[in-house]
Amino acid sequence: MNKIISNFLYVGSGIGLTLKLTFGGVCIGVTGGILLSILRYSTIGKPIVNAIISILRGTPLLLQLSFIYFITPSIVGFRLDLLAAGTLAFGVNSSAYIAEIFRAGIESLPKGQFEAAQTLEIPRFYMWKDIILPQVMINIFPAMINEIIALLKETVLIAMIGGMDIMRRAQTIAVEQYEYFMPLCIAGTYYYGLVLLIGFIGKKIENRKFYAKNS
Amino acid sequence: MLKIRDICKVFNHIKILKNISLDIKKSSIFGIAGPSGCGKSTFLRCIQKLECFDQGTIECKGRTGFMFQDFQLFPHMTVLQNLIYAPSLKNKGGKTDCKKQAEDILNNLGIASKINEYPSSLSGGQKQRVALARSLMAKPDILLCDEPTSGLDVSTIMDVIFLLKSVNKQLNITIIIASHDLDFLTKISDRIILLKGGEIAVDINPLTCDMPVDFLKKYY
Repeated sequence: MNKIISNFLYVGSGIGLTLKLTFGGVCIGVTGGILLSILRYSTIGKPIVNAIISILRGTPLLLQLSFIYFITPSIVGFRLDLLAAGTLAFGVNSSAYIAEIFRAGIESLPKGQFEAAQTLEIPRFYMWKDIILPQVMINIFPAMINEIIALLKETVLIAMIGGMDIMRRAQTIAVEQYEYFMPLCIAGTYYYGLVLLIGFIGKKIENRKFYAKNS
Repeated sequence: MLKIRDICKVFNHIKILKNISLDIKKSSIFGIAGPSGCGKSTFLRCIQKLECFDQGTIECKGRTGFMFQDFQLFPHMTVLQNLIYAPSLKNKGGKTDCKKQAEDILNNLGIASKINEYPSSLSGGQKQRVALARSLMAKPDILLCDEPTSGLDVSTIMDVIFLLKSVNKQLNITIIIASHDLDFLTKISDRIILLKGGEIAVDINPLTCDMPVDFLKKYY
């Protein structure tokens, strides 16, 4: 019993890294995703944004993570620590997917919303900030929760560059004790609990939507 | 007030508007009739610069306001926020002046009680009034209305006629209405053109024309 508890606590001490990577990744991903999706609506920005999204979606996340962690020092002259490299890699990768989610959300709005803003002479910045994005955020919220859950699960890749997250700790126990079942079940319990928590928070926020979508 | 010369608009190699030329007088109510797809809305959108035209000129003296067929109120904002958002961005006096103006307009249009409601809780007629109020907040000289009666019942249409006429008289606003509802147009307009195949088929004054609805129907 003591062994189970100590294994449970050891694996659980990796939650901090997993959550930091997820939170940081979501922050970078949402910011980057919004910028990419708005830039897509400018004539000059569109081909550049399309190329960026194509590369980010077309190459493995592990490759991007390795690139940032191992290759960046020779370009910028200093090494990013594990957390910074992981957050950056997960965030940048996620921004491509979030940009696509935003694109779907923006395209689902009636064209008339843009035209109404234009007719009322609302400057472009305010049109995006106060008219378009608040409506888009509500439409894409369930898809965003999905993306956050996917990102949480993708953080296991941090183990590949030495990060001691939930998964890596479970593997360490498995190797040390020659037993896979228990540590993997413990890791699964943590991940599933976190996913349920994200889903629960998402539902709570979704239920607070205060207007019907169709006016 | 509005001088339109030789406007042409092409969509997918089809000429939607063919050399339309018009002069629209100040403070008049001008109706554009015609069957679906004849170019009424495109014509209005060209005046509002929501659509580029391929040829011709539009000289407009004054500010224009536009009422969309489906209102296009901002669903995440209350009626008051819908009204004051755009003006308060321009008005250095801030939201207080705009709020006062919005309350006055909503009072005049008889929907002051809905000031804190969201558009989703309003009826079609109420949304119509809010859309009108939002357009009036910008103090336009010309108000362009795209199918203002679509989806409204008879009594609400009568209200719309009364509202637009009173706006026209009290505020001296020129109103241009695109609609396929001939009955509505003949009741409200000083002058009506009927567009067919992108051209002006008829140009009449419904006040001097005998049986204007029947007359226009012949050209439909």
